[in-house]
Amino acid sequence: MPGSGRTLLEELQERAKELHCLYRVHAICSRAEAPLDELFREVVGVLPVGWEHPGQTFARLVVGTAIYESPEAEPTPWVQSAPIRVRGEEVGRLEVYYREPFPPADEGPFLKEERRLLDTLAELLGQLLLQRDLASTLHRAEKRIGPAQTEHGDWWVIVDFLRQIDRPGYVTIARRMLNFLCWSGVEEALRLLPRFTGSWSGPAGPEEATDENRPMARRNLDALLKVAEEVFVIAAAHVAPGEIRTSIQRWIKDSRSGFLIEALENQGTSLTDIAQALTRFQHAALNDRDLSRSIQFDLRAALVRRFLTDQVQFVGVAKNYIEVSDFLELTRRIICPPSSHGKVGGKSSGLFLAVQIVRKSEEYAETLKDIRIPKTWYVTSDGVVNFIAYNNLEDIVDRKYLEIDQVRREYPHIVQVFKNSQFSPEIVKGLSVALDDFEERPIIVRSSSLLEDRAGASFSGKYKSLFLANQGPKRDRLAALMDAIAEVYASIFGPDPIEYRAERGLLDVHEEMGIMIQEVVGSRVGRYFLPTFAGVAFSNNEFRWSPRIRRDDGLIRLVPGLGTRAVDRVGDDYPILLAPGQPGLRANVTADAVVRYAPRKVDVINLETHRFDTIEVEALLREAGGSLPGVENMVSVHEDGGIHRPMMVDYEAQAKDLVVTFEGLVTSTPFVPRMRALLRLLQEKLGGPVDLEFASDGKDLYLLQCRPQSFGDESQAVRIPAEIPPENVVFSANRFVSNGRVPDITHIVYVDPEGYAAIPDLDTLRDVGHAVGRLNKLLPRRQFILMGPGRWGSRGDIKLGVSVTYSEINNSAVLVEIARRRGNYVPDLSFGTHFFQDLVEAHIRYLPLFPDDPGVSFNERFLLESPNVLATLAPDFAHLARTVKVIDVPATTGGLVLRVLMNADLDRAVAMLAPPHPHGERHIEGRRGPDGGGGTSVSDDPRRWRIHVAERIAAEADVDRFGLKGMWLVGSSKDGTAGPASDVDLIVHSEDDPAKREALSTWLDGWSLCLSELNYLRTGMRTKRILDVHFLSDSDFSRGTSWAAKVKAVKDPARSLPLRAKMGSPAPRKGRDA
Amino acid sequence: MSSPFNPFEMAQAQFDKAADVLGLDTASRELLRFPLREYHIAIPVRMDDGSVKVFRGFRIQHNDSRGPCKGGIRFHPHETADTVRALAMWMTWKCAVVDIPLGGGKGGVICDPHHLSAREQEGICRGWIRQVAKNVGPVNDVPAPDVMTTPQHMLWMLDEFEVINGGKYPGFITGKPVGSGGSLGRTEATGYGVVFTIREALKQMKIDIATTKAAVQGFGNVSQYAIKLFTQLGGKVVCCSSWDQADQTSYTFRKLSGVDADELLGITDRFGGIDKDKAKGLGYEVLPGGAWIEQDVEILIPAALENQVTGETALKIKPSVKIVAEGANGPTTPEADKILQERGIYCIPDFLANAGGVTCSYFEQVQCNMNFFWEKDEVLQKLDTKMTSAFHAVHELAQKRNLYMRDAAYVIAVSRVAKACKDRGWA
Repeated sequence: MPGSGRTLLEELQERAKELHCLYRVHAICSRAEAPLDELFREVVGVLPVGWEHPGQTFARLVVGTAIYESPEAEPTPWVQSAPIRVRGEEVGRLEVYYREPFPPADEGPFLKEERRLLDTLAELLGQLLLQRDLASTLHRAEKRIGPAQTEHGDWWVIVDFLRQIDRPGYVTIARRMLNFLCWSGVEEALRLLPRFTGSWSGPAGPEEATDENRPMARRNLDALLKVAEEVFVIAAAHVAPGEIRTSIQRWIKDSRSGFLIEALENQGTSLTDIAQALTRFQHAALNDRDLSRSIQFDLRAALVRRFLTDQVQFVGVAKNYIEVSDFLELTRRIICPPSSHGKVGGKSSGLFLAVQIVRKSEEYAETLKDIRIPKTWYVTSDGVVNFIAYNNLEDIVDRKYLEIDQVRREYPHIVQVFKNSQFSPEIVKGLSVALDDFEERPIIVRSSSLLEDRAGASFSGKYKSLFLANQGPKRDRLAALMDAIAEVYASIFGPDPIEYRAERGLLDVHEEMGIMIQEVVGSRVGRYFLPTFAGVAFSNNEFRWSPRIRRDDGLIRLVPGLGTRAVDRVGDDYPILLAPGQPGLRANVTADAVVRYAPRKVDVINLETHRFDTIEVEALLREAGGSLPGVENMVSVHEDGGIHRPMMVDYEAQAKDLVVTFEGLVTSTPFVPRMRALLRLLQEKLGGPVDLEFASDGKDLYLLQCRPQSFGDESQAVRIPAEIPPENVVFSANRFVSNGRVPDITHIVYVDPEGYAAIPDLDTLRDVGHAVGRLNKLLPRRQFILMGPGRWGSRGDIKLGVSVTYSEINNSAVLVEIARRRGNYVPDLSFGTHFFQDLVEAHIRYLPLFPDDPGVSFNERFLLESPNVLATLAPDFAHLARTVKVIDVPATTGGLVLRVLMNADLDRAVAMLAPPHPHGERHIEGRRGPDGGGGTSVSDDPRRWRIHVAERIAAEADVDRFGLKGMWLVGSSKDGTAGPASDVDLIVHSEDDPAKREALSTWLDGWSLCLSELNYLRTGMRTKRILDVHFLSDSDFSRGTSWAAKVKAVKDPARSLPLRAKMGSPAPRKGRDA
Repeated sequence: MSSPFNPFEMAQAQFDKAADVLGLDTASRELLRFPLREYHIAIPVRMDDGSVKVFRGFRIQHNDSRGPCKGGIRFHPHETADTVRALAMWMTWKCAVVDIPLGGGKGGVICDPHHLSAREQEGICRGWIRQVAKNVGPVNDVPAPDVMTTPQHMLWMLDEFEVINGGKYPGFITGKPVGSGGSLGRTEATGYGVVFTIREALKQMKIDIATTKAAVQGFGNVSQYAIKLFTQLGGKVVCCSSWDQADQTSYTFRKLSGVDADELLGITDRFGGIDKDKAKGLGYEVLPGGAWIEQDVEILIPAALENQVTGETALKIKPSVKIVAEGANGPTTPEADKILQERGIYCIPDFLANAGGVTCSYFEQVQCNMNFFWEKDEVLQKLDTKMTSAFHAVHELAQKRNLYMRDAAYVIAVSRVAKACKDRGWA
């Protein structure tokens, strides 16, 4: 369809086809050794691709008496033919047939360009015959003048063809050759330069169509053709033929990829258009590695920007690894609205890039060759916009600016609205195709948000990921899939992400969310579907359990079943910890510890109920342990006090004796070297530590996610100010420092190493442990640190460290072990080994101190000479006051707190006295991230709210009815350190009348329930009861139990709350309370 | 402040007290206050990174007048010779009190297995044996697992020993898995041993065991088998406590009609934590962890941790309590010990009550040496005999000399060893 009806694109496409065809025929003909028969058969085979309707085209080649044609060829009337001549004599014909009629064009149904192509091909074949005819002559010539000359002839043929069929292209190549010669410093070329730059420039291609109407241009072109010829003559003289040929081939390919560049540069082209262009690119048998670097990178960068992300850093890395053809693979699994301009989002991009890096790695090719990724489909980020528009839900976008309690209240309704909305037909179709591809394998629907790209905003766990069993009739599966996507979409408007965005000033940034639909890795085991193991891996190990483990030895958290239990901290269970760089050093050594810290639960997909379930490992093994692939590498047998690898084990019958250790996986499979290689490679290529998710079906290892490790809140390196006044430093450390945020510290419990070493008897040594246990209960949770000599939790030799159990330290924020030099000997520290995994799961930081190291500060005077509040807090341990020091930091320093800044990147930690954080609510557990930088905070100060609440309760209470004598506020609310989930600790002194006490208790219960609901709406933290009431009887009050002691304490007394009647008198306010 | 705590000095002080009661002569005292032999060794180990690290190790043989030394090997980063000396001396008394023909020894290596790969630990085990092979063996000194050493470590050591000596010597080491020279009945031994002594004590008090109730602290190996055997003998265990990992506290599970160990085991996790809700479903009351000590029972069995019966908690012990049988090591503080003594509560001291373990190790060695292994019943029956006669010896001495049971146990142990030394003409 020539003329006005043809679009520019179609024309370009045709030209590309012709070139493609010509190129391939040329490639075939250039195989000097192959027999002619074979070459001719191949030529007939490839010819159709050069014509407009390749599917309906076949070719026929007659050479002398021989005929080459496709087997099913039946001559038709719609034919184009050209003679093949050798030395002017016709020796055969080249014919092209259409199988069926097509609308008339320039020559019957054929285009004029096709005629030209046919003639050129016929000429080429003629030359081939001539070449062969002269084979013996050439052979002799070769002997005389060397192979270079024949190769020269080779490239010269290409240039010649080009001049005949594509003059502007020819000129372009010549121009590039000229530039090349100039750069190489060829003087003749420099002299030619002014003549080339004269008047005609610009790319080859579309201009040609207008040439015919512009005689001036034509003349110029003719002149240029002359110059071009000169260029090649110069080239022949100065450049090796091989190099000329390679360069020319690359430049020809460059020009052939023009259509793709154009599609990408035009912002108007939709993803579908780009996908089509990519298909053409592949169809043209182009490989971007054959293109010149600049074009290659341009193309890749443009594709990355369109499909993955705009983020400059990412593009910079990605363009080195993701080839054009890789995108084609991606486009085959993209679901998008019509004329989409969306992207696949952060999570998908990260994984996609990681996979390309792994595939293209040469260094680790052998180790990583079997790494897989699960089958993945993508819904582009504008899918959610399309969804909202399709259902007229635009109003919802504004909800993000509401108060957080309203957001929280409305959220369940939003979810319902979303779930009851429809997807546009294009999306439904796409999802349906995806489901056909997945068949009845379980899938996971994950969010892949665009905001995830932004450094410092991990959104980890903020948006939903939903597992689907994907079982049953397709209609049901599709409905479930759409339901899940709608729910994930709704999570954009959930209170947690909204609050998170508000804190980081990201509320005004438009949030679009891509969806990643991934096949769940695993196998069917009994009623369940699960991977044999899964987990997360980090380049940097922030939890070293041995000084021999370096930070860059990495960390793997490994669990049986779905990886959800490794990603989140589950409190009642433990993952297996491994340092891939030191797989022999295990966190747990004795059989007892191995059993105690073994994972006991497993997350699975129940294929019968179609639900995500958590079950006991033992139950799973009992039901179908033997059929779990790779179970022999997952468990060990625990018997006779020992632990050994399973041999001849009946997994079902012996389920109770099996412990998950992954011993086999570590020692007898390539798992550890693979993970190590993955971490190393990705860290090196992505330019920073990474955080991976992986899973295995017991056979293959799959990569599920890859992102920079710094995205995780907990592994952020805390900035340490350059100049801290020395008097404010309490201690510093410069060995084995890990990253980790520590909340503001109000109390220091310091067990003096000298004092401890001097204790003569066992009982007193044990008492120190008990005193710490008591303080652990009395001091505000996560706002005190424990500092002591040697090994905390030492069981055997108690004098080597304070003997405590985990429950006696579990409220501490940091555990500090001090190794003081004794003579010329510095004792080993435990690195928290006695309860290491408990520390990890509870986010309690561990820090070893070496006060005698050079460059380390240790303000022993502050620790020893500050007022000791031990006797006030725990009067029955007053006799230990020489050894156990409890420092109330704000009281001692006039309102300052202790900040422990830990930076593993510098291997440095500093504990300094500083004013408290303005909000005073840096709770580790609350997944609080780094400072937001000017975001609008929608949450109030939890401390102020709690004080207010407490004052209201006191003011409202009926003093006579309840026999109330006094009410005090203690703990975090009073200290200004309350977080969103903190309790309000009230001490209530009332008459010893059971009836009145009962009434008061009921009344306070009502408040408590009501307040926790309010608190939930404000913060999203569910607390069963917000009031923690400690009743004091008269006798308690006079005897001075620990709570009464708080009321009467001189240092850090409870805050008295004014009652309604004349009772009680407000305590003097402290500076930091104001 | 006086000098820092030293375990060896403490062990010597205990010995001196018993020696005073016995009126031991100076030579015997000189001999028994210190170990007979000490080996201080260096163990070079090729580390995973190719470097060589030298570890320091010990074997201390306190006394072998009654038979080959017996005692564990500890891997501990802060191991000291004094700790090992003290422990070796305690082993001498422990073997003597149950009257098994073994002496006391202890060994150790200064190392922290947390910071060593399995291969490196194997290197330490084999290196340790190479250094002391000439001085240990089934007829000289028999090691066993201890702090941070496992049956695996023992098998490496045994293998190295057998390579050096060119033969099979399963009796060289105890604590091996069943099938690799271990003894049946090991799991039951300590818990059963506790109950054997209780049974004998009740006989002496002329109390029918079927009329008694017991409260147990802990639900580990010792407690479980103590509960089983006590119930089997007709007694009733009304409660036991267990540690709750999730709540980081312990609870007491009470069922006045009688605790069923098997029933509780069915709802127990791997480290002895009993499921609270399921226990309620089975009719157990869930009380605070400390409630076990304040029950109306005749017998208390602290079988969890050390220092559980303290000056404070001892005051809560009900008047009905007649016996405290120490299943754990050192569950009673000296302060509480005084209270028990004043109230006339009969105490079966730890190193008698829980000597079932070491007795079974002895049986393991015996079986290995003759290369003939008994059925479990036979092991437990022999255990009964040993424990019973050990109990009576201590009890009779306590009666005759009007000693507190703990002191009587010490005195009898020291006297047996002192006599053996004298007989050999060592003192």
